[in-house]
Amino acid sequence: MRVDVETDNIATGRTDMESPQVEIAGDTCEAVDAGINGIIKESIEKHKRRTAFWDRAATIAIWSLAFIGMGILFFIIGTILWRGLAMAIQPGFIFGKPEAIKEGGGIGPMVVSSFYLAFLTVIIVLPIGVGAAIYMSEFAKEGWATRAARFGADSLATVPSVIFGIFGMVLFVIYFGLGWCLLAGALTLALLNLPTVMRTTEEALKAVPSSYREASMGLGATRWETVKRVVLPSAMPGITTGAVLTIGRAIGESAVVIFTVGIFIGWIPRTPLSPAAPMAANIWHWYTEGALKADAMAIANGEAALLLLVVLLLNVAARVLARFYQKRLGTVR
Amino acid sequence: MSENNLKLKFRELDLYYGDFKALEDIDLDIKSCAITAIIGPSGCGKSSALRCLNRMNDLVEGARVKGEVILDGENIYDKNYNVVELRKRVGMVFQKPNPFPKTIYDNVAYGPRLFGIKNKEVLEGIVEDSLKRAALWDEVKEKLKSSALSLSGGQQQRLCIARVLAVQPEVILLDEPCSALDPIATQRIEDLLSELKNTYTIVIVTHNMQQAARLSDYTAFFMIEEQGDPGKIVEFGETDAVFTRPEDERTERYITGRFG
Repeated sequence: MRVDVETDNIATGRTDMESPQVEIAGDTCEAVDAGINGIIKESIEKHKRRTAFWDRAATIAIWSLAFIGMGILFFIIGTILWRGLAMAIQPGFIFGKPEAIKEGGGIGPMVVSSFYLAFLTVIIVLPIGVGAAIYMSEFAKEGWATRAARFGADSLATVPSVIFGIFGMVLFVIYFGLGWCLLAGALTLALLNLPTVMRTTEEALKAVPSSYREASMGLGATRWETVKRVVLPSAMPGITTGAVLTIGRAIGESAVVIFTVGIFIGWIPRTPLSPAAPMAANIWHWYTEGALKADAMAIANGEAALLLLVVLLLNVAARVLARFYQKRLGTVR
Repeated sequence: MSENNLKLKFRELDLYYGDFKALEDIDLDIKSCAITAIIGPSGCGKSSALRCLNRMNDLVEGARVKGEVILDGENIYDKNYNVVELRKRVGMVFQKPNPFPKTIYDNVAYGPRLFGIKNKEVLEGIVEDSLKRAALWDEVKEKLKSSALSLSGGQQQRLCIARVLAVQPEVILLDEPCSALDPIATQRIEDLLSELKNTYTIVIVTHNMQQAARLSDYTAFFMIEEQGDPGKIVEFGETDAVFTRPEDERTERYITGRFG
């Protein structure tokens, strides 16, 4: 094969070629060993056939598993909405006064209890969790103390919520004498959510490139100024996602609430020390103690559907908020 | 080189990361309003040496120094020396452009705001002036409120230089500022640095020998004997002399591309 000399000179940058005839690979290369070549070609063919089969098998298996998982999820969501949606979207039900024994009535105080409790939980857990995470990721020297704190948080995250419920009842309701009230529930839920808030925040802070910190310190910022002006704003998508998910968990949690807040209430709770009955606990109440009330199951189903909608909306809100912050930071367009 | 136009001096500096000795016996004079290049093979401690000049090594756990770095007659490693003040006077531009995920305007205004400047007109003046001096103004004046991350790599690096200029430093340290940039963006940064050296003392670490030769007035060649040994200065002098008639054989072998 002959190649045009000029283009070859340009390509290689050589100008001092002695021979104008340039040979390229193919003419001059020594032939590879035909025997070995044949063996390699044959194994490549075999490998192709073998992997093609397994590739297809694995794809089918993974798809089916995904469908089963999604199917179960949609079945549960579908059932809850099917049974309760009609009731859940009636304003008279959402905001109405409950009836303990008579038929009818709404769940207004329970809705208020749920949001009130979630709000209190977040304002307790967020400063502590985010503060701890900032300390662990930005200030503390890596050592046995930080490892112990992380191990403690991880262990705490695996404790079942009912244990937290009993602990909260013993400590806040009885020992501190708060009684069954929103504050006792919020404090317990704060403990329950502290590990997750801490870890999600820490992950968000760790994901902030250290080059931002270097740039900031390089301009004469102190460590705290750097955290405040660069690191925290950059970690906001992650932190808000954690916060909104905490609200979701606080609204959806039942075991803790049953032990520390209450399961039925006829009026709207006013102060953090008022007894209350968040929706999740109230559903449990109708299912277990609703025998006196003829439509207890219908109320419970409606409440379940409403609770599901609220949690779904919160999850959507978490995504929207994260995206909003990312846009503002310019990390996504 | 007369003693009184020396901006920065290394004096018998050793740098340790834990037990590892990264630099040994560094003595180096850096002249004001000139560009000093630090060259040498990978791992020879040239970036570490640069980071001693604004004490960025303080951020590395286990890092400690022996010896002195003198800035305008004062040892910056003195116990009472104000590091925040030091970093304002000695700005740094990093290997990879690292603008904050903020607007172009907020990036440049970051330093001045840090020092408490809140007046909008003053800030706007500083931002415009810094961007002009970094030769970026014409490209971004219409979109100061867009994210800095929307700029190209070369523009981002000039933005980082503008961000440093906005705090009115005396010295600018550059740690391989062009290694992530294409030749045209590199050219622009080099033109900019040649411009800036009339006003600032510039120290640049570079892997690119041609860049050191083109750009700098003085060159220091760092080397390590063997893996695990500390980095040392093999040769230091005017760039022309170092590149045309190096005194040390190792310098010659390095700059002619025979190792490293």
